[in-house]
Amino acid sequence: MSFLPFGGGGSSQQTINQQNVAMVEQEYEAVTETFYRIVDSCFKKCIPPKYIEGELNKGESVCIDRCFNKYIEVTTKIGEALAKKGQEAGARAGGFGV
Amino acid sequence: MDFSHYNDAERAHILKLLEQKQMRDFMKFYSNLVDRCFNDCINDFTSKTLTTKEETCIQRCTEKFLKHNERVGQRFAEYNQSVAAQQQA
Repeated sequence: MSFLPFGGGGSSQQTINQQNVAMVEQEYEAVTETFYRIVDSCFKKCIPPKYIEGELNKGESVCIDRCFNKYIEVTTKIGEALAKKGQEAGARAGGFGV
Repeated sequence: MDFSHYNDAERAHILKLLEQKQMRDFMKFYSNLVDRCFNDCINDFTSKTLTTKEETCIQRCTEKFLKHNERVGQRFAEYNQSVAAQQQA
């Protein structure tokens, strides 16, 4: 689907593919959301709300790195499990659909 | 996010949209940080002005969270790079 840009003033006759725009939008939202969740979760898990100083100490820094890695791993593993469930459900449904 | 197959009009439009989203997300970030540091630091309502202790706590909380956010950002960028490298292989 293509839409002509509004108020084009004759300068540009390029059409904007709304699907392309939507795809980039969705990617931005997904990436930003994931990033925000990791920041939030790992802050809760690694930084005690004592605030003795403004710097991250060594322990906190290491914790953050590990927290990040584990979060990504969990995301991957759950993604795989969901995909597998989806496949199994699809296979069963195909069998019944005969 | 790869902009190579978009035409100029799309690119301009997308960049403007992303700018708006980033502005929106910055406001969210700001209010989230205020919330967090307020909840963690401010518990004394015998006075209507911040105590020195509370003020220090707020400063440290802000600094700490910003540094934390930065570190996660670094790991995230590294991760995205490694994913992109793998996809190209």
